[in-house]
Amino acid sequence: MSFDTSRIVSSDEELIQNLQENNLLKRKAEDALFNRYTYFIKEGIKKYALQEDESFDAYSDTILHAIDNIRKGHFENRSALKTYLYRIFINKCVDLLRKKTTNKNSVHQTSSIPDMLMLIADPAKTAVQQLIERMDMDALKNRLQELGESCRKLLMLFADGYSDKEISVLMEYRSADVVKTSRLRCIDKLRLLYNVKRNSDG
Amino acid sequence: MDNMEYIDNYFNHPNTAEQKQEFEQRIIHDVSFAEEVAFYISTHNVIKEQLQIQQKERFRELYEQQKEALPRKQPVTQIWRYAIAACAIVAVMVLSWMLVSTSSSPEQLADAYIRQNWKTLDITMSSEPDSLQFGLTLFNAGKPAAALLQFETIAEKDSANFSAKKYAGIAALRQFQYDKALFYFSELAKDTTLHSNPGKFYQAVTLFKRSGTGDIDAAKKLLQEIAANDLEGSKEAKQWLRRLD
Repeated sequence: MSFDTSRIVSSDEELIQNLQENNLLKRKAEDALFNRYTYFIKEGIKKYALQEDESFDAYSDTILHAIDNIRKGHFENRSALKTYLYRIFINKCVDLLRKKTTNKNSVHQTSSIPDMLMLIADPAKTAVQQLIERMDMDALKNRLQELGESCRKLLMLFADGYSDKEISVLMEYRSADVVKTSRLRCIDKLRLLYNVKRNSDG
Repeated sequence: MDNMEYIDNYFNHPNTAEQKQEFEQRIIHDVSFAEEVAFYISTHNVIKEQLQIQQKERFRELYEQQKEALPRKQPVTQIWRYAIAACAIVAVMVLSWMLVSTSSSPEQLADAYIRQNWKTLDITMSSEPDSLQFGLTLFNAGKPAAALLQFETIAEKDSANFSAKKYAGIAALRQFQYDKALFYFSELAKDTTLHSNPGKFYQAVTLFKRSGTGDIDAAKKLLQEIAANDLEGSKEAKQWLRRLD
């Protein structure tokens, strides 16, 4: 099949290298990583009595979490990639089981909030966390849609791991500095939209 | 440097212990600054969430495809019997393939077409709007999900933009989002103003690629219509119909 990318990258090293680069192979490497261990899904069904959809969710979240960590250089090759993924997968399955029994959901939370908060120590971290918890995320998502095409593109590319320099090439900006300034203006604009709406609602 | 730039720098560059302490102190003593930090993190998180939803959709397609390709488990006692039968079938198939090397399955035909024509998309210096060119750039950079989002945004804003619909269909197909691809290609097929409209042929490619229940028959009907009326893709349609006979 033309889209079977598992044959394109063979070793863990190659796969990790391709995941870390913003080129054509990056997306293929993501698909190859996903395809390589899909049998974990069956394990989730057998060992943790999860439904197939739940086990699929746990596995997808595992892959996304791993990709994020690999890109950030947090995967240190101390264990084989498979072992590393399996450990994350088990944790996701346990999270799901907990969710099923206690109605708490942590499996669908993305890793970004904890990751960024890890860069702040307590008590500042707790202060920011409390402020985040008070925010209306649905409203923020809606305001993001109102932001305008080019702003959304800028923010999405940056969140997807592109550097300002790479974005400047993709979106034909004059320089990385211009991208950065524009990107920050977009966040300011989004904040303004969010606050105006909140004030008018409140 | 304004607050947002300061926050952006903090999260995207390495910090010394002093810089960290200074940043944390500002959070503790300046509520408005802390709110900006919370907003910055939340925005990043919301966008990442949207990207992850797109990625999970792609994974879902890959998983479904893999499941379809996997053979069902058979009881152990029957494995040898089936293995021998399978070997015989494979031998016959190999011989048949050698004799009729030109024949292919519908999915293989679609795969070959996709590989040859849609691995990358031409970015021409035409009158196409920049936003469309940007979508093409994303697609060629291996970002079909972002490209799809871009094409869909354009198509949503301008329902007469059939290029956007065509590319949205291709980007959706690239991510195995068959229903979405069929939707955009059928929208494309509705355009009567185009001199040559590949909408129907692209629908046939998508149906062959998916090869689900009834897909191949539906695709063949489309190919017959294309061949009979000499529509866009008629050359391939005729060849494919011959090879599948």
